[in-house]
Amino acid sequence: MSPDQHPPARAASTFTRRGFLAGAGALGSGLALAACGAPTGSSPTTISFYLSKPEVIPYFHRLISTYHSEQDKVRVVLDSSSNVPADFVRNRPPDLGCWNYNFAVAEFVNHGALSDLRDTPQARSINPALWPLMRQTADYPGRISAIPYSVMAEGVIYNRDIFARHGVSVPTTWSELVGVCERLTAAGVTPFFNTYADTWTIAQGMFDYTIGGMVDVAAFFGGLKQEGTHVGPSSATSFSRDLAAPMARMVQLAQYSNKDAASRHYGDGNTAFAQGKAAMYLQGPWALGQIALTSPHLNLGMFPLPVTENPSDLKVRVNVDLALWIPEASPRKAAARDFMAWLMQPRINDTYNNDNDGFGSRIDAPAPTNPALAGLRKYYSGGDFYLGPSQLIPASIPVANYAQAIVLGSSPASQLALLDADWSRYAIRVA
Amino acid sequence: MTTTSFDAASLGARPITGSGRRRRARRPGSANWPLTIVLAVCALTVIVPIYVTVSMAFKTTRQAVNGNAFELPAPFSLSGFEQAWRLTDFPRSFALSVFVAVVAVSGTVVLSAWAAYAISHNWQRRFFRWSFFYLLAAMFLPFPVVALPQVKLTGMVHLDNPIGVAILHVMFQLSFSVMLFTAFLRSIPGELEESARMDGATTWQVFWKLIFPLLAPMSATVGIFAFLASWNDYMMPSLITSNPQLQTLPVLQQIFQTQFSNNYNVSFASYLMAMAPSIVVYLFTQRWVMAGVTQGAIK
Repeated sequence: MSPDQHPPARAASTFTRRGFLAGAGALGSGLALAACGAPTGSSPTTISFYLSKPEVIPYFHRLISTYHSEQDKVRVVLDSSSNVPADFVRNRPPDLGCWNYNFAVAEFVNHGALSDLRDTPQARSINPALWPLMRQTADYPGRISAIPYSVMAEGVIYNRDIFARHGVSVPTTWSELVGVCERLTAAGVTPFFNTYADTWTIAQGMFDYTIGGMVDVAAFFGGLKQEGTHVGPSSATSFSRDLAAPMARMVQLAQYSNKDAASRHYGDGNTAFAQGKAAMYLQGPWALGQIALTSPHLNLGMFPLPVTENPSDLKVRVNVDLALWIPEASPRKAAARDFMAWLMQPRINDTYNNDNDGFGSRIDAPAPTNPALAGLRKYYSGGDFYLGPSQLIPASIPVANYAQAIVLGSSPASQLALLDADWSRYAIRVA
Repeated sequence: MTTTSFDAASLGARPITGSGRRRRARRPGSANWPLTIVLAVCALTVIVPIYVTVSMAFKTTRQAVNGNAFELPAPFSLSGFEQAWRLTDFPRSFALSVFVAVVAVSGTVVLSAWAAYAISHNWQRRFFRWSFFYLLAAMFLPFPVVALPQVKLTGMVHLDNPIGVAILHVMFQLSFSVMLFTAFLRSIPGELEESARMDGATTWQVFWKLIFPLLAPMSATVGIFAFLASWNDYMMPSLITSNPQLQTLPVLQQIFQTQFSNNYNVSFASYLMAMAPSIVVYLFTQRWVMAGVTQGAIK
């Protein structure tokens, strides 16, 4: 992990670059310390396990005690509170990470701070359709830096009882969707409950769903990367050009929203939807548990948002909710791999996904049994999915705020032009 | 907020007695209604959030997310406290927070009192004057600016633990505290110290037997500021402490705030448990805090 082995930094911020140079400098002393801490004889190796999803901490506590009862070579300490970038800076990263695979982890992947897991049987067991998604988020050439553990599939959550009461069925084309909305509105039912006060809910929902349903997300971002610093009104690929049609759909969708959307937060949305105040809700499966806090027995279903007139265009938005990785700097890679292999066993991995409404990442993983997710199964197993575009735009570009401006009445063209300008500036910074 | 209302009270209290003597005497029992109303509104800004915190803490999760924050808990539930206790490993994290705060408070009071004593008695010498300005300059240096080097350095010298956090808390509290002590020390007449010297006291004795007891009100102020800064700090322990089992309470509480889930009852129960010491400390020491602040401010 010396600096000269790094490829030209692609998305480096000064923060991590400095951190890694410093980390490389201290590698020698780090290894020396590691040698001191190496296990002697039969005493167990203690590894630290960082989990980025606070909701499942109790769940993983139970998993870890099961793991401890099944073997005595490795002891796992669960950590959800450390600052992982700081751990990398002082060259003492967690031995095994279990993170939401997004921009937060991209820097570590792009700089080669995570070890190659290509030779593990777990890497070979992964559904091949997921690798392009993993590479889209972050990639270090020639390596498998992380192994997907759980995938979340997102779409429109709908209240089956409200749909049945008003005689509407799940739409598969844009005009059917508009028809459903008109019919519900005429019957005095709010079609969509939106929560504009939390900008991420717009980016994750309307913004991503309309784009993903109309545009080939991977090709679009590939085109943007090629344009580099020239993204703008005259380039072959640009936000203004390619996203104008989806944004027009988004503006149209926003008309079928609850009147108080501008002041509603995510938590309000869960409560209101659970109370049957709207027929549809643009959220992922994480909201199902929150809705169940208020109404545990609501009859819910999910479907991908139709944005075109062709039912075969239907796709679901996915994100790699948890991925496992082992840092290069970890002196206990073997023990970390042992725990990773244990976690990836079908009996553990599938149970986790089923209990937490996630889709499996292995080729042979069964779909989750929650009936609410049934409507998404065939799209996930058929590979009809895309990564949320808002997750592929660097965090330094406030895309969620731009999406909020559009749904609150700003012209899409001006916000997309802003995105173009931001993207080219970002490309200049990281070039 | 409390400071504001307290200031208003003390400011308002003076005109009453002053004008009472000069103009028409106000009967002792009559109230100043406009001021009372203003103060009542100010008090509400403190009481309402505390009411929500307390009532949320005793709700069930189901009631906590129903959107009516002002409802009384029904049914009354302690499950929030139980979960918060378990998830933060409360006894351990509480003890660590107390440890960090105690070291930070005692370190700040002693070190800055020493420094202020040395500086104020050698003000005519350039070295001491400049060291005062040097310490003051640190007030313009927020922690985030030096966070990365600090992370790196504490890691290298094995201070990536609560002791390192406490030392850094002392360091960052030093400049403000030295300023307060120095201002206060100038109001102590030099003759006092001269008389002690004539009786044969050494510098050490003068400081501990004479100056430090006289500094008591200001020490209380400095101590309280240091306590609050240390007790409520999130960023420094989260960056500096590398072992998750040695983490302080505010950092562990972040697990209750996530983008995708709301467990208001658990979070508020946990906040209540963490707030309790600050509130208790303030209730018993607020007289000295305010006295100390005004004493440091004059002259």
